[in-house]
Amino acid sequence: MKKRQMYFRMIIASLMRRRSRMLVALLSIAIGATVLSGLVTIYYDVPRQMGAQFRNYGANMIFTAADQKFTLEDVRQGTALIKADQLVGVTPYRYENVRIHESPVVAAATDMTSVQATSPYWHIEGEYPSSDGQILVGAGLAESFNLKSGELLEVSYTPAEMASGDETIQDNILEFEITGILDTGGSEEDYLYISLSDMESLTGDAGDIDIAELSISASSDELSDYADMISNTVSSVNARLVKRVTASETTVLTKLQALVLLVTVVVLALTMICVATTMTAVVTERRKEIGLRKAIGASDSSIIKEFLGESMMLGGLGGILGSVLGFIFAQQVSIHVFSSSISFMPALVPVTILVSVLVTGLSSLMPIRSATEVDPALVLKGE
Amino acid sequence: MFFRMIRGTLLRQWKKMLMIAFTIALGASLAAAMLSVMFDVGDKVNQELKTYGANITVVPKSASVLNELYEVEGGQNTGAYLREDELGKIKTIFWAFNIVDYAPFVTVNSTLDDGSEVKVIGSWFNHHMELPTGEQLDAGIAGLRSWWEIESGDWLDEQSHNQEDSAMIGTALAKKLNLSVGNTLHVKGSDGEKNFKIIGIFDAGGEEDDQIFAPLNAVQDLAALDGCIDSIEVSALTTPDNELAEKAAKDPSSLTVSQYEIWYCTAYASSICYQIQEVITDSVASPVRQVADSEGAIMEKTQLLMILITILSMIGAALGICNLVTASVMERSSEIGLMKAIGAQNGAISGLVLTEIFITAVFGGIIGFFAGFGFAQIIGHTVFGSAISMKPVVIPIVAILVILVTLAGSIPAIRMLLRLRPAEVLHGGH
Repeated sequence: MKKRQMYFRMIIASLMRRRSRMLVALLSIAIGATVLSGLVTIYYDVPRQMGAQFRNYGANMIFTAADQKFTLEDVRQGTALIKADQLVGVTPYRYENVRIHESPVVAAATDMTSVQATSPYWHIEGEYPSSDGQILVGAGLAESFNLKSGELLEVSYTPAEMASGDETIQDNILEFEITGILDTGGSEEDYLYISLSDMESLTGDAGDIDIAELSISASSDELSDYADMISNTVSSVNARLVKRVTASETTVLTKLQALVLLVTVVVLALTMICVATTMTAVVTERRKEIGLRKAIGASDSSIIKEFLGESMMLGGLGGILGSVLGFIFAQQVSIHVFSSSISFMPALVPVTILVSVLVTGLSSLMPIRSATEVDPALVLKGE
Repeated sequence: MFFRMIRGTLLRQWKKMLMIAFTIALGASLAAAMLSVMFDVGDKVNQELKTYGANITVVPKSASVLNELYEVEGGQNTGAYLREDELGKIKTIFWAFNIVDYAPFVTVNSTLDDGSEVKVIGSWFNHHMELPTGEQLDAGIAGLRSWWEIESGDWLDEQSHNQEDSAMIGTALAKKLNLSVGNTLHVKGSDGEKNFKIIGIFDAGGEEDDQIFAPLNAVQDLAALDGCIDSIEVSALTTPDNELAEKAAKDPSSLTVSQYEIWYCTAYASSICYQIQEVITDSVASPVRQVADSEGAIMEKTQLLMILITILSMIGAALGICNLVTASVMERSSEIGLMKAIGAQNGAISGLVLTEIFITAVFGGIIGFFAGFGFAQIIGHTVFGSAISMKPVVIPIVAILVILVTLAGSIPAIRMLLRLRPAEVLHGGH
């Protein structure tokens, strides 16, 4: 007991006496540990965060009718099978042929709030419709018919019975206020967009859904599992992956992950070697002390034990400091780059501490051994 | 004498000096590797994002107006077309180098033998071009539809001899008609008919699964559309949009002359669109928001991420070097004490120690720079399968970093040692 107390007293006294130099060593270990814990945290979090960025590409799964039509209730049943935190958005679409200025055009009825989640790339000149009676006009149509936001637009719908020749039924006509012009660079520019309830009043029937777009942040394997599960469980829905989005996402995300992994490995390796050389220098400096101890009769093993204890204590301290700093760094990166916070990984703390203790221990072991092997007289003489 | 002393130190204490040089080389290589990767990551990721397909579409100027007002009732498209002979001009615009792939499209509604309607789309598959600049380019949908899965057969090669009348068909259509590779499919267009030999069956996971893709000229023959194309899809490397680009996209004439020049000479999607419109007669080129905007977002995030990791590793490298330099100067306390004892001036001692460390630092820095560039190449080849290009700006940044860090590491240590009294130092007291 007494011996152990003495051992710790010696280590602590040695650390305290040589405060400035030990601080230098501690700083370097702490930096190594910070890099370790920070980069590993980022490496594990990047796929999740980047995956969220890839949702900018819009829907990666679509529901279509298995045979004829399906309803909002079927969509709800289908989406209930997807984990809530993975589901970015669900947007139902119902397409009908309507007429504006006596020309036939396609009107899509949809949910204007969820469309902003599933198609974040839509550029609206103006505003999204916020209430019934408002309409979004595709840029192509707006140019053809010379429509501007703020204007009123009459949309007429010919019920199916009239088309069949029954003259007694009139066109249904509704007047909408144009709130915005939609610019996507794609086929959406040739459609009108109204709310589902407006479409109901226009057509006079509750109607079914033609297609539902889903944006899910999950890997492509998980996505195809979901698609199979939904198609099997909800009989009226056929869930399919949007291959263009899922396949490309897998390709790019794999590359990005590999990039962060390699960068992490290179930076870690170089930083750890840096820590090791600093520790080696700090120990080498104390050859004289080792010589003196040997001269007054200390055994090699006791010297090695003491020096190792000292550097490993530094390693542990540096590891703790680095874990905290590394998490702060990863958190800052996450907030600045992805504007979301990062989850703390408790398992990383013992790993960081262990690695710093090992690196410092190993890197000081070599110079200590070489110092103890030399004749104390030579070391003390300064050769 | 000064130089002899320095040479003496370097030779006598070569082990210690080698250690310093090694650490400086490590730090410099870390900084050089990370900076090279950081500066190039935008281009590399941009290249990867090309798997999402075209980010610019070009259509005839009057297409939408004509289609909407006069033609929907008629059903057949006879309106405006782009000219096939102008396709090559796309590779002559200011940002030609940024255009990685493009393909023309012409769509003809045709009937099959069983009377069903089908869309036949003419395009380039693997169109090999020798450009006047000496560059070579393989353009076509093989690159622009990278997500297509070829279920059987192969990509069509329209420039090989016997494939002029070949076609690739979607998996849904193949299933419906019970066709497989090698079969012939008879298609009747408005002004001609053809027997297409099926070369490949693809799964696109979209509406293209019900369509037929054939070489451009073969499809033009179906509807007597010689030299006409409906649209062009262009895949270009672009810079994420900023305020200037957004303003210019609305109306380029609202810019001042200098703003216009900056905009025109930056690879924004809108300026590339503008340049394409300049060379293709009566065309409207517009960015595909789904691809262009997402690309911008992902590139920005990746770049920012790499910048922050680079800053962390530079701080790590800097402090690592700083520590070791301080430790090695402190170690020489007795030597400096001795020099002072025999009458050396403070300035002379500082000069001597600094010069020694600087020689070591330059030596280590140069080795480190090349090693770091090597690390960057390893990263580039493993991750992206291509070399990381060397940006000249990395050299001064690494050089300044090494110099500053060495100074910051050695000056405080030297000053501290100079303040000590020679007798105490030599005596060995702390």
